[in-house]
Amino acid sequence: MKQTAESIRDRFLKLGIDVPLIDIESRLDELITKFKVPTNEAQRSVTNYFLKKYSIPKNEFYARQAEPQLTKIADISEKGQWANLKVKVIQLWENTHESISQVGLLGDETGIIKFTKWQSTGLPDLKQGESYLLRNIVIDEYNGRFSVKLNRTSSMEKLAEGVEVAGGDFTPAARESELRNIADLKESNQWATIRGKIIQLWENQHESIEQTGLIGDETGVIKFTNWASSELPDMEEGKSYSLKNVVVDEWNGRFAVTLNRSSFIEELDEDIKVGASISTYSGAMVDIQTGSGLIKRCPQCKRALVKGACPEHGKVKGEYDLRIKAVLDSGTSTQDVLINRELTEALVGLSLDSAIAMAADALDPGVVLDKLKHELVGRYYTASGHKLDRYILADSITPMTSLDIGLLEEMLSEPGVLTEPEVE
Amino acid sequence: MAAGFYREVARRIFAQELRDSNLASRDESDQYAPQYVLTPTGAKVNRIFLVGTLIEKEDIGTDSEYWRGRVSDPTGSFLIYAGQYQPEAAQFLSCSELPAFVAVVGKTSTYTTDDGNVLTSIRPESIEEVDEATRDLWVMDIAKQTLDRIRAVEAEKDPNSKLAKEHYSTDTDSYRAMVKKVLESFKERE
Repeated sequence: MKQTAESIRDRFLKLGIDVPLIDIESRLDELITKFKVPTNEAQRSVTNYFLKKYSIPKNEFYARQAEPQLTKIADISEKGQWANLKVKVIQLWENTHESISQVGLLGDETGIIKFTKWQSTGLPDLKQGESYLLRNIVIDEYNGRFSVKLNRTSSMEKLAEGVEVAGGDFTPAARESELRNIADLKESNQWATIRGKIIQLWENQHESIEQTGLIGDETGVIKFTNWASSELPDMEEGKSYSLKNVVVDEWNGRFAVTLNRSSFIEELDEDIKVGASISTYSGAMVDIQTGSGLIKRCPQCKRALVKGACPEHGKVKGEYDLRIKAVLDSGTSTQDVLINRELTEALVGLSLDSAIAMAADALDPGVVLDKLKHELVGRYYTASGHKLDRYILADSITPMTSLDIGLLEEMLSEPGVLTEPEVE
Repeated sequence: MAAGFYREVARRIFAQELRDSNLASRDESDQYAPQYVLTPTGAKVNRIFLVGTLIEKEDIGTDSEYWRGRVSDPTGSFLIYAGQYQPEAAQFLSCSELPAFVAVVGKTSTYTTDDGNVLTSIRPESIEEVDEATRDLWVMDIAKQTLDRIRAVEAEKDPNSKLAKEHYSTDTDSYRAMVKKVLESFKERE
């Protein structure tokens, strides 16, 4: 009890107030002995009593008190705790909500943590690269990751001496997600880093999308979307890039990656070979599906119009295009193949202009589809291209013309066939 | 595309084997279930792709046009029927010159006669005139696939092969001989 009384006295001495030890002791004694109050509660109560008596604001007193009890970022382990941190502002992020004043990353010698400073705190802005002592901040947790929040009771004090951050200077690469093969991206909401070549860039469908298309590596091909809000540079078709910190998502069983504000794009010198994604399929063309032949596309988003209307942009004056959605059939499986205008023109010997003329002549674009069917259905083709969903996006399609003599010989030499006694 | 939907593969069956087939089946619990014919070499056929020579055609309809065409392959012939619900195919049959190489994609349908024979005919989804090279490619294609199935039946490799063997007691040697004969005709032409 004597100890407790002395520690109370010491604190008040620091504030320049000499509280008689006997006063403290008698008050403590009354609470602890007479009223059975636990020592720490008694200590607080006595302290508060003298604070009131000498008109010292509680906040000021406790803020100074807290100073020796600094928490290290690595030790943060419980949601809802209050803490004081000595940290350096590593990164400030773009604000996502009007009630947030600042958001970003703080670091000390033990680790890095996200912080949020609410608008309602009324505190001045933190500056990137500066170090601060932050008092009375609250620890929060989301999805197993901790963050700290500055609120109305928090205070900040700029430190002259910079705080050392773990691992020296913080660079984005320090928090890079794991490098993965595209074929292994089979789980949504997972972060990953991929290296691949831009195989295709698609026409933009929406203003909030910066770029969308296909990226492939040795193991496979995946769709990517780069949101305009990510503010990342554009990529070029045919070049290879490293995409750091992308998010995998899934829709209808198909996976895609999304680039966001915390992603990075780095152009690579090497040319990544896209493997496994080029599929080749041989078979008889057994069908040409509706939506083939002479079609109109929306001038804005390039989607095929349905009855003159774009699903996104409504009634538009469409642009003509030729394409074929073909079904190849090997006898044991089927494969849908998308054939673009250039290949269609070459395959059928019909240019887009003559197709338009044909349709105008007959007052019916269906004649073009009929012609394609007459020319193509029932014949054997080999198509190759990137596989996407159920389609092969054909890079080439060639008619099979010559017989495979090797196969004929092989079949004739089949034991059961060759050694069979002469029929007839 | 809706999950669970898949396109019926167009099987490759010689006319002789299709004529020998008499095991039709369908999932009775679903009125929209496709009807299948199981052939002696274990092909489960709903859609079929064939290339052959259109050698006969006749309008057998009474009120409206109903066309029957006969398409021959190296082992026999297929009968195809096209009426008002197959307008493109019916029109093709009505306009075409005989004989002609044609490629047919269609669905098989079976009919059981009073004396218990099962007749298999084809309702075409499309008929297109093709060249001789395509016909030859088809014969090679079908020969290979028939041989593959014969081997599967001998090994009782999958449920269809097993069922075929059980039902037809398939004489694989005779089908081998059929394929051999077809292939030799190629050899001679060279």
